Amino acid sequence: MDASILSSLLISLQPLNVLACFVGAVIGTLVGILPGLGPAAAMALVLPLTLQLGPTAGLIMLAGIYYGSMYGGSTTSILVNVPGEPASDVTTLDGYAMARKGRAGAALAVAAIGSFVAGTFSVIALQLFAPLLARSALAFGPAEYFALTALGIVLLSNLTGKSRIKSLIMIMIGLMLSTVGMDPVGGVDRFSFGIDSAQGGVSFIAITAGLFGVAEVLSLLAKEEKEVDLTPVRFRELYPNRQELLRSMAPMARGSLLGFLIGLLPGPAATIASFTSYGLERRISKHKEEFGRGAIEGVAGPESANNAAAGGAMIPLLSLGLPFTPTTAVLLGGMLLHGITPGPFLMRDRPDVFWGVIGSFYLGNAMLLILNLPLVGIFAKIVRIAPKYLMPTVLVLCVIGAYGDNNNFFDVWVMLGAGVAGYLMRKYDYEPAPLVIGLVLGTIMERSLRQTWIISRGEISGLWESSISAIILMLTLAAAIGPSLWRYFKAKLGL
Amino acid sequence: MPRLALSKSTKNMVTHKEIASSLLFILFGVGYLAYNRNYPIDTWNNPGPGVFPLIVGGMLILLAAGQLMQTLRKHRDRDDRKSAGFRFKSAKTFLRESGKIKPVILVGVFVIYLLIVKGVGFFISNFIFVVISSRLMGARDWVRPSALALGICLFCYLLFEVWLKLSLPRGLLF
Repeated sequence: MDASILSSLLISLQPLNVLACFVGAVIGTLVGILPGLGPAAAMALVLPLTLQLGPTAGLIMLAGIYYGSMYGGSTTSILVNVPGEPASDVTTLDGYAMARKGRAGAALAVAAIGSFVAGTFSVIALQLFAPLLARSALAFGPAEYFALTALGIVLLSNLTGKSRIKSLIMIMIGLMLSTVGMDPVGGVDRFSFGIDSAQGGVSFIAITAGLFGVAEVLSLLAKEEKEVDLTPVRFRELYPNRQELLRSMAPMARGSLLGFLIGLLPGPAATIASFTSYGLERRISKHKEEFGRGAIEGVAGPESANNAAAGGAMIPLLSLGLPFTPTTAVLLGGMLLHGITPGPFLMRDRPDVFWGVIGSFYLGNAMLLILNLPLVGIFAKIVRIAPKYLMPTVLVLCVIGAYGDNNNFFDVWVMLGAGVAGYLMRKYDYEPAPLVIGLVLGTIMERSLRQTWIISRGEISGLWESSISAIILMLTLAAAIGPSLWRYFKAKLGL
Repeated sequence: MPRLALSKSTKNMVTHKEIASSLLFILFGVGYLAYNRNYPIDTWNNPGPGVFPLIVGGMLILLAAGQLMQTLRKHRDRDDRKSAGFRFKSAKTFLRESGKIKPVILVGVFVIYLLIVKGVGFFISNFIFVVISSRLMGARDWVRPSALALGICLFCYLLFEVWLKLSLPRGLLF
């Protein structure tokens, strides 16, 4: 066995890390089960708690929430036709149909096994590819980093699959918020309006807790959703039969590979991966007529794909320091709060964190399988917690999270402001996720831009002097204007 | 016919939202750039703290203006200005009709909570806040919200004060 794999497993097997992994996996499963509260919000709420645990255990807990939510998301999709998170939307089609035929347990078990297989596959791939990418990223200077952040912003502007211009506006607002406080090069105090608490910058926890947590509560209050009824799962229904398992194996393998590759790309990877996998399975299946009526392949493929995508999305985060999804953006925020800078130097400077987090994925996947198979009925009952009791708890956690970051109430006011803004943004069809990405990338982008100009003595060509930055900037340009050009020529030539 | 009318009014609502939000972002960008004049741009050799905000603020204005133009063009293409049927309602009617009154009340309760928390203390104000917000979210009795509030306060005390040693503000009573 490779020494790095062994060392990563050993770090993750330390008692505190095992506990953090378990707590993260349980919270993640619950978050996945509960409709409304997404993994990004849950991670933002738990961030202050993880600060007390230290970087390795803290990040293991956050990562546990991330992949745990992918496991849990399928439960409500299958039992009540309500996806816990968007990546499990497509599971409702065949999962719920199976539940109505009395095969809820089999669907839940196949989803859990598929998630385990895909999760483990993606960790192995992550372990193989992340060091390669990180080594090549060591050649990166300020110009390359600026080009990379610019590429990230252009690609991420399509993050939500909705209006690109709205996403870009939100990214700009995030970048503007990142300019509050000391500037990253000269240390000049900016946009703090004389408020001492603002001089350290806008609290990331306060912003995310407000945008995701408080805004979610306000939106739920406006909607007044009805409580859901659950299909009870009997013990004897809990396991899939031999035929169902055999039919699930190939979709799990295809979903794992497909999901991992899609996870490497910017955007809502887990959701895209699950839909793509479903489409693929339906196209190549020998039982096409069963799709939509309870085909086991329609559960096994997408559930494997969304978990593998979660693993794939960790590669750009850990090796380049770039978050390609909202959830990994929150994870990046968490790393920065712990004093960890993800990127090519992470593996060299903090191998304990890097390999500890990766090692915990193996452990977490095994824990989740153990948790999800026998306890699925109990977890499913959590959905019965009415929002009138759950949401006040979320609000209090938001308050403590924002307050605990710097021990001041200014951040709680910021959180409330962000909550109201987040609520209005939802009403006006603006997604909060690009704003978070702008906020996280802002400081890196400004620092690298100004350093590039200083190094090149004011020559703007310094931005594209090196071949790497030139290639990345060309890709950025292609990504920015490519889709419009494609649409234009398609319309012109009648393609 | 009623279906068509509904669809038109929905489209108009979307258009008005887009226009209003675009204008708001332009205004925000202009204000941001105006304030940014306090920070030096310096030279290309040594760019000052005002450079990055200048670029970002400018981009925001351009994007918001782009969205505004796009919306206005779509609006004109539809050529349904005359039948827009957009009527201004009183704020109270608007809030009641669209089910937005509860979020407004919750934000009000939140503001009061933040104003009193330093004086009254975290645990007492938290208890009141949880009971009121739980009632606002549909709890019909006082017993269960009070039990929930007590449980949350106890949990916060044990987890954050006893275990994690986070000093939550103490007030007159506790």
